Amino acid sequence: MIIDSHTHIDEAGFWLDPPETILRLMDEAGIEQAVVMTYRDAPLPGGSDPLAYVADACRRYPRLIGYARMNPRHGEQAVRELERAFRDLGMKGLKLHPVSYIMHPSSPETLELLRTAAAWHAPTLFHCGDEEFTLPYQIAQAAALVPEATIILGHMGGYFHVEDAIQAALTYPNLILETSAMPYPAMIKRAVDLVGAERVLFASDGPGCDPTLEVAKVRAAGLSAAEEELLFSTNIERILARVGR
Amino acid sequence: MTDLYDAEVRFGQSLYGYQLDLETLNRQMERHGIARAVLCPVRPPSYDLSPANDAVAAAVASDPTRFVGFARVDPWQGERALAELDRAVGDLGLRGLYLDPWEDHFVISDALVDPLVARAAAGKLPVMVTGGYTNFSHPSQLAALARRHPEATIVATHGGQLNISGLLLADAQIMLRLAPNVIIETSGVYREDFIEDCIAEFGPGRVLFGSGTPIFDQGYETLRIRLAHVDDAVKQQIGWDNIARLVG
Repeated sequence: MIIDSHTHIDEAGFWLDPPETILRLMDEAGIEQAVVMTYRDAPLPGGSDPLAYVADACRRYPRLIGYARMNPRHGEQAVRELERAFRDLGMKGLKLHPVSYIMHPSSPETLELLRTAAAWHAPTLFHCGDEEFTLPYQIAQAAALVPEATIILGHMGGYFHVEDAIQAALTYPNLILETSAMPYPAMIKRAVDLVGAERVLFASDGPGCDPTLEVAKVRAAGLSAAEEELLFSTNIERILARVGR
Repeated sequence: MTDLYDAEVRFGQSLYGYQLDLETLNRQMERHGIARAVLCPVRPPSYDLSPANDAVAAAVASDPTRFVGFARVDPWQGERALAELDRAVGDLGLRGLYLDPWEDHFVISDALVDPLVARAAAGKLPVMVTGGYTNFSHPSQLAALARRHPEATIVATHGGQLNISGLLLADAQIMLRLAPNVIIETSGVYREDFIEDCIAEFGPGRVLFGSGTPIFDQGYETLRIRLAHVDDAVKQQIGWDNIARLVG
C-alpha cells in the first residue's frame, strides 16, 4: 500500500495537469492514493475557485485526497476559506508555498492559518527548499510558535538544506519530513535513523517529478520493510485519521 | 536499453568531505549497468588541483577502454590555470575541461573564464560546468558564457538548474534556446518532465546522462534515464552516444 503525500492537479496558469495525469502516473508506480493540491493559492479574485476544483476532483476520483493551498496575505478571508475547505469541501490539509506569495512562514497571517488547520487536527504541508522564506529553520520558527500544528517539510530542505531540515525536526517534535524531489536516497536513511521512521513521509511531487522514480528512491534508501511501510502509508494514514475529530 | 555511459563521475578525495576511489567506482558501475565513465577531478584537501588531475589520469590508465578523464583548473590562477590545462591535456591525455564555479568560487559568466574556454574550444575539448548554482552558474550566466564562445561545446550539469521550486526551469530552457552549443547533463535534475520536455523541444542531442556520483547516488541517477518516457533510440542517444561523440 502506497500513499503519495504530495502531488499536484490544476488546469489554469503555468502548469496544466488535470487529475487524469497524476492518476496515470500513480497506476504506473503502483500508488493507491495521493494527496492533491493546486499550483495556485486560494483565494483568487474573479470567481476562480481552486478549492472547489480540488474538491470536485476528489469527488470524481476517491483515490485523491485534497489539501487546500492558501495565500495568507488575504488574512481573515483566507482563514474563512480554509474553514470552508475543511467543513464543506472535505479537505484534509493545508498547503503553503511561501515563494508563491512572498511572506515569512512565521508571519502573523501564516500563523493564523496554521492555528486554523491545527484546530481541525489537519496537517500543514510547507514547501521547504533552498529559497528564502522556505528554509527549514525559517519554518521551524512557525513550528515553535504553533506547537499544536503538525507541519510537514515538503522536499525536506531541497538540494542544500536537507541536513538543516533533519536538525530542525530533531528540535521540534511537530515537524515531519517529506521525501519528494529531494535527490539523495542516503538522506532518507539518515532522516529515519535520526528522527525516526514515524516522522518521515513518502511523496513524489508528481506529475512533474515521476512517482515511479520517487518510489524507487525510497526503496534505494536501505530501509527495513517495517520502516518502508511507515513511510509509504502508515504515517500519513495516522495523520489524516485525526482530521476533523 | 543496456549499458550507460556516465558523463560525470567526481573522482578522488574531496576537500568537501566526499570521496570516491577506483575500487568502489568499479563496483558501483558493475552494479548499475554503467560500462564507461568520464572521471572529473575534485578539489583535494591540499587545495592543489594538479595532483587531482594526476589522480584522474592514473585511474584512466588503469583501464582506458572504460574511463576518460577531464582536467579541472581554477580560473583564479590565470596563466597557471592555462598551463595546467595544457599539461593535463598534452602530458596526461585528459580530454575535456571541468569547471566547478560553486566549489571553486568564481562566476561562470566572468571574463576570468574566457581564456580557458577559448583554449578548450581551440583544442576541440568539451567544457563541463557544474550548473544551476544561483550566483555562480545560473542558467542565464551559463548562456552568457556560451554565447561568447559559440565555437565551444558547454555541458551544463544538473540540467543547468538546481531549484526545487522550479524557479530555474524557464531559465534553463531559455539557455538552451539562446545557446545551441549548450548540452545539459541530467544529475540531480528537478522534475523528470523537464528532461522529457527538453528532449522534445531541443532534440535528444542536447541531453546526456551523468550521475554526479558520489554527491548524487549513481544507481538512482541511472533511473532518470531508464524510466524516462522516451523510446529506446532516444535513451541510447542520451545514455551513451552524445557523450561518446564529445570525448571521441
